[in-house]
Amino acid sequence: MKAVELKDVVKKFGNFKALDGINLLIEKGESVALLGPNGAGKTTIVKLISGLLKPTKGEVKVFGEIPWKNYEVRRMMGIVSHNTFLYDDLTAYENLQFYCKLYDTDESKIDELLEFFGLKGRKHDLVRNFSRGMKQRLSIARAILHDPPLLILDEPTTGLDIEGRRELMEYVAKVGRKKTVIFTTHNVKEAEEICDKVAIICNGKLIHFGEIESDLENVYLRVVGYEGT
Amino acid sequence: MKALEVAKKDLKIEFRTKGTLNLMILFALITSMMFSVSIPMSLAKKTAPSLLWLVFIFVGMLGYSRAFLKEVETETLDGLKISPIAPASVLIGKILYNLILMILIEVIILPIFVGLFNLDVANPVVMFLSVTMGNVGFVIVVSSLSILVIKSKMREMLLPVLIFPVVFPIITSTILAVRKSISGDLVGIFSPIALIVGFSIIMFVVACLTFEYAFSD
Repeated sequence: MKAVELKDVVKKFGNFKALDGINLLIEKGESVALLGPNGAGKTTIVKLISGLLKPTKGEVKVFGEIPWKNYEVRRMMGIVSHNTFLYDDLTAYENLQFYCKLYDTDESKIDELLEFFGLKGRKHDLVRNFSRGMKQRLSIARAILHDPPLLILDEPTTGLDIEGRRELMEYVAKVGRKKTVIFTTHNVKEAEEICDKVAIICNGKLIHFGEIESDLENVYLRVVGYEGT
Repeated sequence: MKALEVAKKDLKIEFRTKGTLNLMILFALITSMMFSVSIPMSLAKKTAPSLLWLVFIFVGMLGYSRAFLKEVETETLDGLKISPIAPASVLIGKILYNLILMILIEVIILPIFVGLFNLDVANPVVMFLSVTMGNVGFVIVVSSLSILVIKSKMREMLLPVLIFPVVFPIITSTILAVRKSISGDLVGIFSPIALIVGFSIIMFVVACLTFEYAFSD
């Protein structure tokens, strides 16, 4: 079953073509890394899939629905990005409670999730007092509150130190099981850690899509034209 | 109702931080006091309705637009956009939040303003209702138009330019209704009140129908 489908997608911002004829098919249960240098168009793809942007040309479908038209299909996605979407002046519990209401989800899962992410002791603390790592863990809890079949991770490790990154990747690997995962990164090692497939994006074009091979780093360097640099 | 949840969340944050509310009350108090000392008492009764509205316009411009602006500053607006919630519900939530702020400010400022200008209000209930109805229309316009300018670097200058022409019928009608309530001559008060209510309803419907375009890409 198709989870995400992009057909001849073009996205322009003014005269700038951020995406140029992207065709991508992600089947249910696959975990795909969108790999590419900064400014390649990875986040634009994620924004199109999540319904934050409309394509200039082409078609984007998530579980057969157009995400920017159909609000209900957003119930099937959980999105984690470097931006946590958390309210600093609400507590961890209140943040999750608010998103539970938006997603019509049972609030009984909140405690379970806070415990899983090691935040139960801080549930009544304001998010503004959390470290970057804690905020990102809470952000994953927010994204999976409604148990979405599609998990989108847009450079979630940005701004984390080594320990925070390792911890987050462990959580991502755990919660990503049995879900369709789209993971954007410019870090080859991160892509290898949690994904089975890779889509390499460069200058708004999809230039490689396939299973992750052992020499991904070389493939990446070759296709993005950084060989020998 | 998800709109209620959006409003509840905003109120919880506002009552916790009191950032916007305190600023609005303080600003309203300062402008009311400045007007009261700069206008001769003999002119107070004639000019008070217009000055009262100036206070509410200043305060409203300062505070109501922050409902969306705060979401942009805290980078949480996209969190609402990716949630299964209709854009109109977000707008209604923000309008409800602003309406509650408005009522609180009105309850505090109105008696102080009347006291400062030494007004002998013949019909205080009608005065309160007129000001409230005018403010409801003003809140609807500011809440729905502020989304258009939040991404602009010149939003503070753009917002008044956009809003003043739109709220002009509400301002003139409310001033007329307040003037009548102060003098006690309620003959003909129905016309301005009907205009305020009608205009507010039309603005609300138009805002709900068009908000999706402003809210999304």
